[in-house]
Amino acid sequence: MIRDHTRIEELIAIRSIGGLDPQEQAELEREMASHGPDCEECRRLETEYGEVAGRLAFALDPVALRPGFAEETLGLALGERSPASRQGPGGGRWRPLVAVAAALVLFVGGAVLGAAVFGGGNEVPPQATVLALEPQDPSLLGTVTAAFTPGEPGIYLQGSGLEPLPSDQVYELWVIEGDTPAAAVCVAPSEDGSVFGFADKEVTGSEVLAVTVEPSTCSDAPTTPPRWAGQVTSA
Amino acid sequence: MTDDLAEARDRELVQRIRRGDGEAFRGLFGRYSPSAMSLARRVVRQPFLAEEIVQEAFLAVWRSPGGYDPQRGSVRSWLMGMVHHRAVDAVRREESQRRRSEESQLSDPVIQPDPADDVVDELGLPEERRAVRAALEGLPDEQRQVIELMYFDGLSQSKISDKLGLPLGTVKSRTLLGMKRLRSAIGGLPR
Repeated sequence: MIRDHTRIEELIAIRSIGGLDPQEQAELEREMASHGPDCEECRRLETEYGEVAGRLAFALDPVALRPGFAEETLGLALGERSPASRQGPGGGRWRPLVAVAAALVLFVGGAVLGAAVFGGGNEVPPQATVLALEPQDPSLLGTVTAAFTPGEPGIYLQGSGLEPLPSDQVYELWVIEGDTPAAAVCVAPSEDGSVFGFADKEVTGSEVLAVTVEPSTCSDAPTTPPRWAGQVTSA
Repeated sequence: MTDDLAEARDRELVQRIRRGDGEAFRGLFGRYSPSAMSLARRVVRQPFLAEEIVQEAFLAVWRSPGGYDPQRGSVRSWLMGMVHHRAVDAVRREESQRRRSEESQLSDPVIQPDPADDVVDELGLPEERRAVRAALEGLPDEQRQVIELMYFDGLSQSKISDKLGLPLGTVKSRTLLGMKRLRSAIGGLPR
């Protein structure tokens, strides 16, 4: 059966540029609900009018940003791991992890080890320190390591032989200073159970690194217990 | 560079952001923040609020890059959509439409020459601006007017009806006709 989309198209077109009044927003939701979530024509109309609306922005001249604004925003994002913004509700549970995490410190002068663990194809700096993360459950499959140069931005996460995850989940690396886990990088395992990721984040020498399983949208704070963890200590 | 290549580059940046690549985020911010700021300023007309909106939108990209679905359109439309939604929400929250509408009568027109294109833009954005402006210019005046008031001034259709002294049904029909024309002119999705 071919359904009539005349009214839905009118409402979607107006909504896409922000002009819909609240009562008609509710009407649109009712209309679309009546077509069901799989209505291809509804999705097509939403996509196409959304595309038009987004592109209207380019009718305007670009403007110069206030000096410092870019640095502020990039700093917030790339260093976004302040305790206030990243402390999850379960943040306190990360302190015991420091004791549990077996302090597998393979530190300083990790060039040979780094090359051996990461292989030659992933561009890990040869001078990087490599830390093997300890499984927090003996039944866990695979190995997980992190490589970094202390005091310099950049952490490489590598894993092999890991169990596959559903498509809506990823492994997420956290850098934990004190009680505060800061998100570093999310990676989905490939079919052979390997992962490789890079985070533009600095390890200074007193943190715990941990990996959890998170939703594929990545989390701001851990939502599951750590699967692998290891403590960084200065040499 | 063609539209498709520019979009492919944007999608690659988003993919890298999903992997936590800060350089990719820097690249996307550098490419689109001047346009995003222009849009936010135009809608909210308050520089500090505009900065807040742009910053929020880009941080949302960094935190949840998985929110981008290639099946639902281009990266640039997704990004500008986030900025626009936030800006319109801010306008509605502040309930300052009357003052801003009065100001808007004195404000810059939407369609202007763009001497900054060669400096600010890369990867096809000057072409994008020309195409969008041409599409807007191609609309009948009465259709362009309601679309500009809705999109760039953040007015709802009922506010526009009041402002222009037109029946609400006329505002709706002009908007729909204009949007259909724009969809034909610029609504194609990049591959």
